[in-house]
Amino acid sequence: MAEKNRKTVYILGLSCYYHDASAALLKDGVIVAAAEEERFTRKKHDSSFPINAARFCLQSGGITSNDLAYVGFYEKPFLKMERVLSQHLEMFPRSLKTFLSSIPSWVNEKLRVPKAVRKKLGYKGDILFIEHHLAHAASTFLVSPFREAAIVTVDGVGEWTTTTYGVGKGNNITLQKEIVFPHSIGLIYSTVTAYLGFSVNNSEYKVMGLAPYGNMDPRTNEYYKKLRQVVDIKDDGSYRLDMSYFRYHYGDRMPSQKFCDLLGGPVEQKDATMAKRHQDIAAGVQLLTEEIMTKILIHVRKETKQRNIVLAGGVALNSVYNGKILRKTGFKKIWIQPNASDGGTSIGVASYIYNAILGHQRNFIQKSAYLGPSYTSSQIRDFLDERKVRYSRFNSEKEMVSSVASLLNANKVVGWMQLGMEWGPRALGARSILANPCNPAAKELLNAKVKHREPFRPFAPAVCEDDALTYFDCDDPIPEPTDYMLMVYPVRKKWQKVIPSVTHVDGSGRLQTVRRDQNPRYYDLLKAFGKLSGVPILINTSFNIRGEPIVCSPYDAYKCMMGTGIDYLVMDTFLIAREDNPKDMWDSEEFAKD
Amino acid sequence: MGNRNSSLRAFLDGCKEGMQLFGHNIALIINTGLLLLVYLIGVGFTSIAAMIAKKHFLEMKKKKGAQESYWKDLGLKKKPLEEYYRQF
Repeated sequence: MAEKNRKTVYILGLSCYYHDASAALLKDGVIVAAAEEERFTRKKHDSSFPINAARFCLQSGGITSNDLAYVGFYEKPFLKMERVLSQHLEMFPRSLKTFLSSIPSWVNEKLRVPKAVRKKLGYKGDILFIEHHLAHAASTFLVSPFREAAIVTVDGVGEWTTTTYGVGKGNNITLQKEIVFPHSIGLIYSTVTAYLGFSVNNSEYKVMGLAPYGNMDPRTNEYYKKLRQVVDIKDDGSYRLDMSYFRYHYGDRMPSQKFCDLLGGPVEQKDATMAKRHQDIAAGVQLLTEEIMTKILIHVRKETKQRNIVLAGGVALNSVYNGKILRKTGFKKIWIQPNASDGGTSIGVASYIYNAILGHQRNFIQKSAYLGPSYTSSQIRDFLDERKVRYSRFNSEKEMVSSVASLLNANKVVGWMQLGMEWGPRALGARSILANPCNPAAKELLNAKVKHREPFRPFAPAVCEDDALTYFDCDDPIPEPTDYMLMVYPVRKKWQKVIPSVTHVDGSGRLQTVRRDQNPRYYDLLKAFGKLSGVPILINTSFNIRGEPIVCSPYDAYKCMMGTGIDYLVMDTFLIAREDNPKDMWDSEEFAKD
Repeated sequence: MGNRNSSLRAFLDGCKEGMQLFGHNIALIINTGLLLLVYLIGVGFTSIAAMIAKKHFLEMKKKKGAQESYWKDLGLKKKPLEEYYRQF
């Protein structure tokens, strides 16, 4: 230990084998690099061992696995196995099918984490395991701006736990209470996601986007009332599900026949058209989630007597609810890990080892999400030259910003690749597709020709932090999670018709606020576009096609542009026009699926 | 000569691929059989015994009497370093 304390302490955090595998590297408590495996393998939500992400992290730190003090894993695999076996024992013989399909992966990989780490990384040192929800809690509190805060973690399920709360003080975390499997808010939401014909652990955000089309009044939404029968909610926010409505504890599909009967029809087919009934069901589950979360947070504030709240777990990606938290619960400040679902736990476990287990004082606050791979000008030029791509290069930053702003003002769609790739599910101006929000046709154009996705899904606005309150009815001061597109706020009435493409059906927008110190080019572009159009706001959507992960490398970005209706690609200071490279054009529409 | 070599290589590659597929299928059948045995004997008998003893592995039903809260004590906080080497 003494030897380790004298040297720079590198800790590698890993999460894998469920969904969204990731790796993160800490150098003396500071995040050097973090990325999700899906971005390298190009398989969305890839759960496999994050070998590419880990290699990227080690390379970014300029180290090998021999230099690591510890490798941390984001859960206790044997505890999770105990839960899985308990499900099979409780549900015998109905669990046979899932037993046969799930146990081989437990035997072959999930219970052999140390072996995989040693074999794949060539690492010979210590491997530490922390509880799943502790990793979530650490991922948000230990990198937050707060010295003290209440902590709430809510997801589908970890080992046994589905919901926890506690307190973070300094470099320590205490999780005081929990709700355990099979009772889970995250799994109710996923069940409705499955019921509506969407994919679980992937498309919950589509249900969130669909909800505002439905009846969001709890007094008159009949599906909310029906879903309310499924769960018993106490005043302190604790809850218990009636498991006769569910099959996820033993089956390979989530809703039971009783659940289908309750909602008045069978599970929807994939890609079914969403009618009024489906919209009301989506609204119903959103209302239910908001009710439970509000009760939990009010209870936690009373119990912990904290003014600050930090959140993590998949449910913390519910940006519609996040935007209401400060107004509804009495907390004064909020922070949410940008990668709040399981992907973020690699940062959590690494930070917990450094700060809590090894006892080092916190010396890092997460101020941006650009933690992934970045590419130099020469790397991008080499790629373009090798592929014989026709391109031009801007002579100065000023020329670049004004030219791209002009293209956007002329209603062109621009792929924008700068800095390090984003950490988490949102594109934040490093791997983004940008367009003009004042163009009423932009939403339809992006949905149909670029993203190939469902027409009901909204697009998000990006706005400079100092302009946000002019256009959006945000909390004041604007909470930092808004920088990571984690909060939905109403667009001010006056502007709703001016920016129709980023105003959702209920008048809200999932805005991203941009601070100049985070991403100066992006900030300057927003300002330059504002001067031309009169509105310093851009549509910002993730640089990918439906069903694919966000692009990572220049190759991914170029390929995505050439397969979609993106008109221009800006990588560093290089400008590539789609129509200048007809030999590389292809149609991505048939590959757009999830 | 070249043609003969390449067709021989293609034949051998085909054999190799076929053998791999065969091995994979056999492994799948054996694994499924073994897992089925484990499920029926291991999980099945334990489950039946638990049912007789009224032991439950998941908290599926409400406890008798009105519960005020479903929160459970967790008390998860920093432990000695050795605890984190364990996978359970």
